[in-house]
Amino acid sequence: MIKPLLAAAAALAFGAAGSADAQTLKTVQDRGKLICGVSQGIAGFSIKDDKGAWSGFDVDFCRALAAAIFNDPSKVEFVPLSAAERFDALKDRKIDVLSRNSTWTLGREEESDVVFAGVTYYDGQAFMTPKTSKATSALELDGAKVCVQRGTTSEPNAKNFFETNHVNYEIVEGDTGADIVANYLSGKCNVLTTDESQLFALRSQFPKPGEHMILPDVISKEPLGPVVRQDDMQWLNLVKWVNYALIDAEEMGVSSKTIDEALKSEKPAVKRLVGTEGDLGKPLGLSNAWAANAIRTVGNYGEIFDRNVGAHTRLGIPRGLNELWDNGGIQYAPPLR
Amino acid sequence: MNVRMAFLARAAAAAIAAAAAFLPGVIATAQQIDMNVVDQPGRVPTADEEQLSGAFERQEVFFRTSEAPGTVLIDTNNRFLYLVQPNNRALRYGIGVGREGFQWQGVEKISRKQEWPDWRPPPEMIERQPYLPRFMAGGPGNPLGPRAMYLGKTIYRIHGTNQPQTIGHAVSSGCFRLVDDDVIDLYGRVAVGTKVIIKQAVAL
Repeated sequence: MIKPLLAAAAALAFGAAGSADAQTLKTVQDRGKLICGVSQGIAGFSIKDDKGAWSGFDVDFCRALAAAIFNDPSKVEFVPLSAAERFDALKDRKIDVLSRNSTWTLGREEESDVVFAGVTYYDGQAFMTPKTSKATSALELDGAKVCVQRGTTSEPNAKNFFETNHVNYEIVEGDTGADIVANYLSGKCNVLTTDESQLFALRSQFPKPGEHMILPDVISKEPLGPVVRQDDMQWLNLVKWVNYALIDAEEMGVSSKTIDEALKSEKPAVKRLVGTEGDLGKPLGLSNAWAANAIRTVGNYGEIFDRNVGAHTRLGIPRGLNELWDNGGIQYAPPLR
Repeated sequence: MNVRMAFLARAAAAAIAAAAAFLPGVIATAQQIDMNVVDQPGRVPTADEEQLSGAFERQEVFFRTSEAPGTVLIDTNNRFLYLVQPNNRALRYGIGVGREGFQWQGVEKISRKQEWPDWRPPPEMIERQPYLPRFMAGGPGNPLGPRAMYLGKTIYRIHGTNQPQTIGHAVSSGCFRLVDDDVIDLYGRVAVGTKVIIKQAVAL
């Protein structure tokens, strides 16, 4: 009885000491820019163009953080990271925040001493196959050669799905996203599996995207979101509430187009969001215009989604689960008050 | 000739508005633009015009709601009509909605269904647009299209249209319009008494 209590007390004391030492926001402010870990290149989410400019859904989240902190979305340095090195880069303080299509799981928070700050994108593992396969469901993929990326959750998920459903399969592993695409396009496998968002992203880069389809089966829960270290509650709150503010903004109709109108609004919820009432920026270490600055320069959640991955982009991902909770989806943010 | 020129001008305006709507970043602005389209009784659209593409094409979508399957939800801001289905799905139709000053919201029931409805523009419409006919019998070329579903005791309806290019825009006097294929499809799926929820964008 005594042992676990002592351990818990020790952990608490250690945690408290850690908090006092960690001042991520101050470090960022002193440095004059945010350092944000992103992927090595996923179209629509985080990708660098030939001029070295980063864009994408995950990149825009970093820009929104920079806008909330500095009122300048350009004050970000992006660090591309592989799946294997991403959490170590965070632990080793090489980055301030990880915004890189990472699935929130208990194991990751426990083993890597990190904490997820929310869900920016509800994803799930799915399958892509050439249209010539004529499959209408992943259950019809008997005898499939399945390309997966080593070291991700995709491999155990796929194995579990095929074994549970008595579908014969063979796994073909690759080290990077580029490897598995090369394997798939060269015919080493006839099924590609990873998160649905990535399938849309990969397909948009194919020479002939129209010849491939993404099957409707979604076989796992993959809530993707930004990640921070466990030792800084203020920083966790900042990252968490920037995400929530962008979602709440969409729900309230506050966008980069309507922000000036919103600043004149008499509605209490809108006034708190844009900082014309209350003092909500203070506990985060920010000015009360933090959310307004992010929305004005980067846009609200829906604008970020539409611009990078939405129905009118090359990826053409439907809002689906990521539609707001009052509009058919499950994106739901606690209120700012 | 004049009529045709006028139509071409309108079609061009519609094409520009539609193109603007598909440019990321200007979507909200495009939605606030009212198309300057007048009713064109007698006009019969071509099959090509009737074929919607992209988001406004009729499709099944993920849709989670506490409303019962069979309920109709009209999202005027995004120009969609949803017919709720079981298992977190809905059938989604592209629609045209009321222009500035003709927006409304509420909960109604479908009070009456009518095939090939006659058109009697209400007195309010005649006052604004005196050139409109007082009566037009149901049939091809009728602005109400092949089907109409009446919303409670209001003067508003869900109906077809002989102007498919207006789908996705704020053009009407408060009615909700679908292309003819879609309105026939919806008509076959809903009964008198169906709950219809009409939502507007939140005001700032």
